[in-house]
Amino acid sequence: MTKEQVTGEMADIREPRNIQRPEIPQHEHVSTDAPAAMRTADMSVYYGDFLAVRDVTMEYAKNEITALIGPSGCGKSTVLRCLNRMNDLIPSAKVTGEVFFHDKDIYEEDVDPVEIRRRIGMVFQKPNPFSKSIYDNVAWGAKINGFKGKRADLDDLVEKALDQAALWDEVKDKLGDSGYSLSGGQQQRLCIARAVAPSPEVLLMDEPCSALDPIATLRIEELMLELKKRYTIIIVTHNMQQAARVSDKTAFFNVKLNESGQRTGYLVEFSETEQLFTSPKESDTEDYITGRFG
Amino acid sequence: MTDIKDTNVHFHQELENLERKVLSMVDRAEQMVEMAVEAVVNGDLDLADRVVERDDAIDETYLEVHRDWTTLMARFQPLGSDLRRMTSLIQLNVTFERMGDQCVNIAKIARFNDGLPRVERMCEQIREMGDLVRPMIRTAIEAYVRGDLDEARLLPAMDHPVDRLNANMYKETVAVGSNPALLEWATKMLMASRALERIGDQAVDFAEQTAYLITGERAEFVEEGMASADGDPD
Repeated sequence: MTKEQVTGEMADIREPRNIQRPEIPQHEHVSTDAPAAMRTADMSVYYGDFLAVRDVTMEYAKNEITALIGPSGCGKSTVLRCLNRMNDLIPSAKVTGEVFFHDKDIYEEDVDPVEIRRRIGMVFQKPNPFSKSIYDNVAWGAKINGFKGKRADLDDLVEKALDQAALWDEVKDKLGDSGYSLSGGQQQRLCIARAVAPSPEVLLMDEPCSALDPIATLRIEELMLELKKRYTIIIVTHNMQQAARVSDKTAFFNVKLNESGQRTGYLVEFSETEQLFTSPKESDTEDYITGRFG
Repeated sequence: MTDIKDTNVHFHQELENLERKVLSMVDRAEQMVEMAVEAVVNGDLDLADRVVERDDAIDETYLEVHRDWTTLMARFQPLGSDLRRMTSLIQLNVTFERMGDQCVNIAKIARFNDGLPRVERMCEQIREMGDLVRPMIRTAIEAYVRGDLDEARLLPAMDHPVDRLNANMYKETVAVGSNPALLEWATKMLMASRALERIGDQAVDFAEQTAYLITGERAEFVEEGMASADGDPD
């Protein structure tokens, strides 16, 4: 799905008709000194005529972890899924505004979404290994991205990816076993290995620890801190403490009802994580993180 | 959000209970300062013993608060203004405990100085310092309870005469001359002066914490008001 394919007319792309846009406060957000790996400019997302999230303008600093938090329905997962065109898979989804990766709007017509998803990988909420061996789970990503090296090179690639995912030592003697034979935490690390195998630049994580126990969660969090040396990480989490523990910057999204009763998400505050969780600038953020929220 | 309600009711109730427990120490701290000063100035050893007993009660409350505070942090992991409030409470708890210890230090001097000659002028200065320090404790706590930044900012100016009197005590000690008994007495009174000066500083520190609670920004008080902690305090 490109913007042109969706609407055919620029006017419609920029503002679908008959959409009530709730008034939302405008705030200044943190600007980063670090170079941005990605940024969005006035990005809005529609599902049909439903405006799910509006006017998101923010940067994701390179080799940092950016957390997206907010109440259910605020659009944080929607925003995440737009960053590697995962929302293309939903027929009614429309994206307006711009999503820049290497100064190129990834929604332009000449951009290949498969290549985008290789360079901007994703890890999902529930570990979802394929019904394949541990080895093949990791090798798959490289193979579908046209890997044509020798078997030995593929072996190296698999080992490197599993090592980066802090899983190699635990599975090196059973690479032929099914991915399902691993524990939940190991499965999620296998999915991370699969995501890093094609050498992406950005890793999107959609609540990667919500199905894991505290020990497995801790391992993933430690892994994230290690992975950010190589990758830019953007994580959606319901767990504010997790965002506080691992992220460098945090964006708080909220949701507002319009007159038709539709709920539209919007970015409230984007700051250094320490600032946001100790002294947020916006009262909505303060109300959310302190549990004073209707 | 227009319709804000407290969805974390249980935490906020427990936070208020903890706050009440900490604030219950303010009267005791003020009274201990008064009793310790009277004990050392009048050489009242019974009163000095009562100061030590009162400190035991403060220590008990300190431990209770510390335990409850740790439990609340572990259970609720508060953030934002709740986190700043929790940080303020633990600092206030430590402040009261240390003030109690300083009062015990002053009271013990009454026993050390028992039977030694004395300089009335230095006793008056110690009494004056006590009279200045007690309102500082009250003002710092009231600023916290009311969330009043202007009141918190009063503390440096209130502390200034305490510092001046403490500095003057050094001069008075030097001036007592070479009489060994008198010099021993004066040196101990200098320690009492120093303890009162520290209690004043602790009140200022807590007022700075209160300012952080209110504004969310760390700042060190200077006499004119506040300077950013990031910048040069001078």
